[in-house]
Amino acid sequence: MAPPRPSFRTVSLLLRPIPRRCHSTSATSSVSASEVSHFSSLASSWWDPMGPSRVLHLMNPMRHDFIASCLFDAPPESTLRPGGNPNPLHYLDIGCGGGIFAESLARTIPLPGSKAETAAETVTRAASITAIDPTSTLIQIARDHARKDPKVSAHLDSGRFRYVNCTLEDVIAQTPTSTSTALEGAGGEMVKRKDGFDIITLFEVIEHIDTNAHISPLSFLTDCLRLLKPGGWLLGSTIARTWPSFLINQVIAEAPWPIGVVPKGTHEWRKFVNPDELERWASEGLMRSSDLERGSVMRSGSEALNGMRWKCEGVVYFPGLGWKFLPGSESWGNYFWAIRKGV
Amino acid sequence: MRPITTSVLRQYVCPSCRSARTVSRRRFSSKSAAPTEIYDVVCVGGGPAGLALLAALRASPATSKLKVALVESQDLDKARSFRLDSQHFSNRVSSLTPSSVSFLRKIGAWEHLDVSRTQPYQGMEVWDGETGSKISFDWSSETSPFEDLPTVATMTENANLVHGLLSRIAASGNENLSIFSKTTVSSIENGSASETDGPDLSAWPVLSIAPAGNAPQSTALPSRMAARLLIGADGINSPVRRYADIGTDGWDYQRHGVVATLSLADQIPPAFPTGMRTAYQRFLPALGGPIALLPLPNNHATLVWSTTVENATYLKSLSPEAFIAMVNAAFRLSMPDLQYLMRMERPSTSVTDLNEDPHENELTWRLQHTPPVPQLPPMVTGIQENSLASFPLRFRHASTYISPRVALVGDAAHVIHPLAGQGLNLGLGDVASLSSTIEYAVNHGMDIGDILTLERYTADRWATNAKIGGTCDVLHKLYNVPGQGPVAWGRSLGFEIIDRLPFVKGFLMRNADS
Repeated sequence: MAPPRPSFRTVSLLLRPIPRRCHSTSATSSVSASEVSHFSSLASSWWDPMGPSRVLHLMNPMRHDFIASCLFDAPPESTLRPGGNPNPLHYLDIGCGGGIFAESLARTIPLPGSKAETAAETVTRAASITAIDPTSTLIQIARDHARKDPKVSAHLDSGRFRYVNCTLEDVIAQTPTSTSTALEGAGGEMVKRKDGFDIITLFEVIEHIDTNAHISPLSFLTDCLRLLKPGGWLLGSTIARTWPSFLINQVIAEAPWPIGVVPKGTHEWRKFVNPDELERWASEGLMRSSDLERGSVMRSGSEALNGMRWKCEGVVYFPGLGWKFLPGSESWGNYFWAIRKGV
Repeated sequence: MRPITTSVLRQYVCPSCRSARTVSRRRFSSKSAAPTEIYDVVCVGGGPAGLALLAALRASPATSKLKVALVESQDLDKARSFRLDSQHFSNRVSSLTPSSVSFLRKIGAWEHLDVSRTQPYQGMEVWDGETGSKISFDWSSETSPFEDLPTVATMTENANLVHGLLSRIAASGNENLSIFSKTTVSSIENGSASETDGPDLSAWPVLSIAPAGNAPQSTALPSRMAARLLIGADGINSPVRRYADIGTDGWDYQRHGVVATLSLADQIPPAFPTGMRTAYQRFLPALGGPIALLPLPNNHATLVWSTTVENATYLKSLSPEAFIAMVNAAFRLSMPDLQYLMRMERPSTSVTDLNEDPHENELTWRLQHTPPVPQLPPMVTGIQENSLASFPLRFRHASTYISPRVALVGDAAHVIHPLAGQGLNLGLGDVASLSSTIEYAVNHGMDIGDILTLERYTADRWATNAKIGGTCDVLHKLYNVPGQGPVAWGRSLGFEIIDRLPFVKGFLMRNADS
């Protein structure tokens, strides 16, 4: 006899609150329709190590190194508590795509009950990660791939690792009640944490944000900063809008095989962001987010920038050698950036 | 009766596995599907390479949390109880380069070896038996007379190394560690996607293991082991390599390596530097390969004589006295003399007068007519009982060392000619590279069995091993051309040039230790 499980699932789907328009492309969303369709077409090869996302896979370890350097520069207060959990940080990955970064971070979370949890601290000190993306196909790909790894799969079951198909605006609109936390229930859709996230990551996201009357990278960053704990880091990677980067990213990297390493149409040069623009937006975003969170009509001044830190490091891809940090190469193309919210 | 009691095994089986065992037994009796035990690393093969990998993983803080298992068909308890007196040595001895030794130090294994049984040597004399051209390798030209001479290599018995590695692993505790000795792999296949309420293992190798021979310890074994990363350290006919469908390229040299443990005549100690020991190697183009005498402690030495299969059979059939005479002759006499000695009628034991061994007589007589060379090793005076053995020489190189969730190390990946003594060093180089690759992957959240992780390992090692294996192959071929023809002239010229240019020699010596 077939188990009654499938029918239960149908019922529970029906009983669920009406799903938000997750991959909405309305004017109030930061997500562009053309970007969604481009990345959907890449979905099937997302996890192929030799496929079109190979360069992205190769960059992934650098993200861990960059996070470790941020934590070294200004460790969040919860990591310094003596005798506390050595890996206390809660992560939010915005625009997780097929889950390349999110899954790798989830893999570093110690399994509950294992002695390692009390004994050793990991490089990224992660306790949980929530990953969101507006493209439902990619979230499905990410979940399916995570299920193939027993350890990551266990984190999905325990809720330490979650994939949610929604936009940043959806998260901002949520109002967590005092009792609910992000970790409550494995299938819960509540993303927002009452006390915010320790680390929010935006890897290769900023350059895919549309600018129109309602949305700009500035408003997007402001929203991210609203979800960040004081003392936490908002960090990411993007590409500078300069002539060398045009040559590297548009002409060479998107050239036909065997020269090109990323699929044609992945990047749009005019959407690229320079480090100085990003730093300006980030500090402006910090002030705006503090206004929005206080709910005050009074504009706060530079006191919102107290304790802020800005960090920027260029990376270069050398064919045959891989990605390398190269200080001073920020304006050539790819770079990592980070902003720390003052305590 | 079980020869291995549970209490003995307990030391090597982690608590979770012990409890899993009882569960699996119960399930087996109720005929439900055998549960699959999931490991991060399963290493097939408990030789020096496999054990070194395990020891390296246990030594690093990042990888010591991994759940690891090792499957070995031989009885590792014998290796654990390795003990010989200081006048006897195993005939399986390897020359470890300084970088191999420093790797073993780094993983904390070297201090578990019996260092008094190892013998570092500082000089090396290599010469061509056909033309007499020679190279002397030592660091004396590059070091001041007031410092110790750097070591060329350290002679170490494989049994001593295996014993030390096992003690190092035992010292790391038994959490997350299972060692299945006297156990063979009966099958390796992909797991199933539909494990009942289990994860999707369709892309994972799943091993079924069984006790080797009729060793009655089956209850201690998990029935099926799934491996996030399966390591093939299982030798030249690697079953893991066959499972991963990795091809190999290679040939047999039609040569055998004759090994023996010898004792040497007392040497007049060199005035300077004191305590210096030297390795000797003479190429014998007419006999099919070089003969090498490598120092062991207490005036002993180990012999490696690469020669044709017929010569090897002949040598092994000789009386100890005749064999010793042949070894001494091989370092001293000319090629025609040696060829004559190799074809001498073997005296039947019944008529042999022990005082008048014909080989000895021939050697004594011919030495009077052979001009001496300065670099001769001391005379061999004795051979340790039962230490004479031979093994076939082969060349193999796997087309790649990796496949999804599979990595090959040591002889499973490459087998080379022993004339440079590099075989085990390449294996330890593989282990050093693979263990640091795994460590990097763990620290960066990568799946240690993923091809993106493992490609760093094969990129690091494949070309290096091909270069060293290929060099040994070319040397073998060059030194198998008999006579005084152009090849002999060319190789002698090469030797003379290298010997006269200290910077070239220094470069070669540094490279040999890469």
